Amino acid sequence: MVTNVMMPRLSLTMKEGTVVQWFKKEGEKVEKGEPLVEVLSDKVTYEVEAPTAGVIRKILAEEGVDVPVAETLAIITAPDEELSDVEAAAEAPVEKVEKRIVASPAAKRLAREYGIDLAQVEGTGPDGRIVEEDIRKNVKKAKVELRVREVISLTGIRKTAAERVSLSAQTAPHITITMEVDMSNAAKLREKFKFSYTDVLVKAVAKALTEHPVMNSTLEKDQIKIFEDVNVGVAVATENGLVVPVIRKADKRGFKEVSSKLKELVEKAREGKLTREEMSGGTFTITNLGMFGVDMFTPIINPPENAILGVGRVVEKPVVADGKIMVKPVMRLSLSFDHRVVDGAPAARFLQNVKTALENPEKLLT
Amino acid sequence: MREITYRDALREALREEMLRDETVFVLGEDVGRYWKGAFKVTKGLAEEFGDERVQDTPISESAIIGVATGAAITGMRPVAEIMFGDLSTLAMDQIANQAAKLRYMFGGQTKVPLVIRMPFGAGVNIAAHHSQSLEAWFIHVPGLKVAVPSTPYDAKGLLKTAIRDDNPVMFFEHKLLYSIKELVPKEEYTVPLGVADVKREGEDVTIVATLYMVHKSLAAAEELIKQGISAEVIDPRTLVPLDKETIVKSVKKTGRIVIVTEDCKTGGVSAEISAVVAEEAIDYLDAPVKRVAEPDTPIPFSPPLEKFVIPDENKIIGAVKEVVH
Repeated sequence: MVTNVMMPRLSLTMKEGTVVQWFKKEGEKVEKGEPLVEVLSDKVTYEVEAPTAGVIRKILAEEGVDVPVAETLAIITAPDEELSDVEAAAEAPVEKVEKRIVASPAAKRLAREYGIDLAQVEGTGPDGRIVEEDIRKNVKKAKVELRVREVISLTGIRKTAAERVSLSAQTAPHITITMEVDMSNAAKLREKFKFSYTDVLVKAVAKALTEHPVMNSTLEKDQIKIFEDVNVGVAVATENGLVVPVIRKADKRGFKEVSSKLKELVEKAREGKLTREEMSGGTFTITNLGMFGVDMFTPIINPPENAILGVGRVVEKPVVADGKIMVKPVMRLSLSFDHRVVDGAPAARFLQNVKTALENPEKLLT
Repeated sequence: MREITYRDALREALREEMLRDETVFVLGEDVGRYWKGAFKVTKGLAEEFGDERVQDTPISESAIIGVATGAAITGMRPVAEIMFGDLSTLAMDQIANQAAKLRYMFGGQTKVPLVIRMPFGAGVNIAAHHSQSLEAWFIHVPGLKVAVPSTPYDAKGLLKTAIRDDNPVMFFEHKLLYSIKELVPKEEYTVPLGVADVKREGEDVTIVATLYMVHKSLAAAEELIKQGISAEVIDPRTLVPLDKETIVKSVKKTGRIVIVTEDCKTGGVSAEISAVVAEEAIDYLDAPVKRVAEPDTPIPFSPPLEKFVIPDENKIIGAVKEVVH
């Protein structure tokens, strides 16, 4: 025989009770009148006794769950009796009553603003209500206060640089492609003629720009303007920040002229003596971080130009050539360009051109 | 500046407006030279302006307001006094159905520049017929403005503005306020209708109070600060129009509100202000809205019972502590 143990009505006004503790487990034998489960109404606790002897076939309400009066808590059957599927299905398990989170509207608003889960917040208001202060404590916990040692105002070169790089980063979709260059020949030339790598680079870039004019351009609204002149800017780090002196018509100047002009401009830059004219009119920029041991990076285009070449360090590396491993000085170039103006393939061809020129620098001398 | 009573301030407002505009006149029961008004507000006016402009009337509130409304729509600016505000019930049809609606029903072809001055409130042991606070009845009638000054300065400034207003203004005075003193400028000034006054600034809780309750709330705030609770006390000064902005702004700052009024709680002024806060600032409330108002009972004649039903400092402090913890 199947007997249902039900939530008793302990007072006239009782609507539901809480299961506090089970004294028996499923499958355990009980005697009639034996304490089975402790329940709690809003007024009293009460031990529900087994209404009949048998085996606890099924417990339908776990400890801590609120159960309406007269709902089944457990099913007792005879020891050899199987609980038929029908009966089991009829006794749908009591759903756990979800506890409502009580929070003040102000606390809810703050929690929303800071993305805090109210379920994770302990309420300290009346009856455990979550109040504004509780959320504030949580926000504080989540945030490590950073102490500021010094405040530096954005002025001068720093301010201009900040504006220009953000303008560039926000308007021009950047792509950076890199390529490794064998610098063996350039190294020899450098030894022989006392040129710097940058001198060689300026010449190589200037030559490549004349052959790939689209890289020597600017974008104005719906028009790509390709420049007649090839004016190569060289970024120079100074104590006061980054400046970019420009070597005008670098393609038209000889190697020696480029070299001495560059020397002069770099010196002036370090002394902070560059004129506005010497820093304007660039059509392409070279930026070098090789001296700091950087291999490659993703430079930001110097507006209104359309491309910039990042230069890495020259380092001796094992290189495989003609089926042999050789040690060679190599350098990595990083070309960033505005994808609105140039696609990957033409930019790659330009970079290849620079690479070829650097690997055969003697041709630049003519 | 000199210190004058609320009573003096009202008299000054009447006198100045009567000097300024000869269409302004006073009427009511015993307002003339023989009795000078039940609370002596009109003392000296009959002597200065003559019996024609300070008219004693028969004991008929309906007649007083009927006459005043008629005078108002024909170009005068009457200031009617009802000896006890409780007796406005006898003039309710004239107030709510005539004075309040005439301008609207005549499509704006007439104005009703009428002020009805009425002492209200409990605390002087004169029983249920002479102790009520009926603000809520009047704020529910479109067409009426309702002023509730709590200080001599506000009383004078608001009465002058009310007299110059082209609509009927119900002017509430509380019996216990007449003898309250305050520094009031000698120079001409007015207080606009619809602008609340922050009587005390605070951080933890907003107390909105009217009439005599402003003073009890200020006393409660003084006690609360000793216990570490900083209360902001706001006096709306007029209930129609109501300066919601000042109340909402304060609640956004403090996150808590206690409304203290002397009228009955159910359907009272405090209910309206609660609703405003619920509609416009609920996301800033950190605790339930609390109301300290009179229980829904006639004012008892028995002094201990009367004291029991009127909101006082302890009840205000208790309510504040329920929302600030």
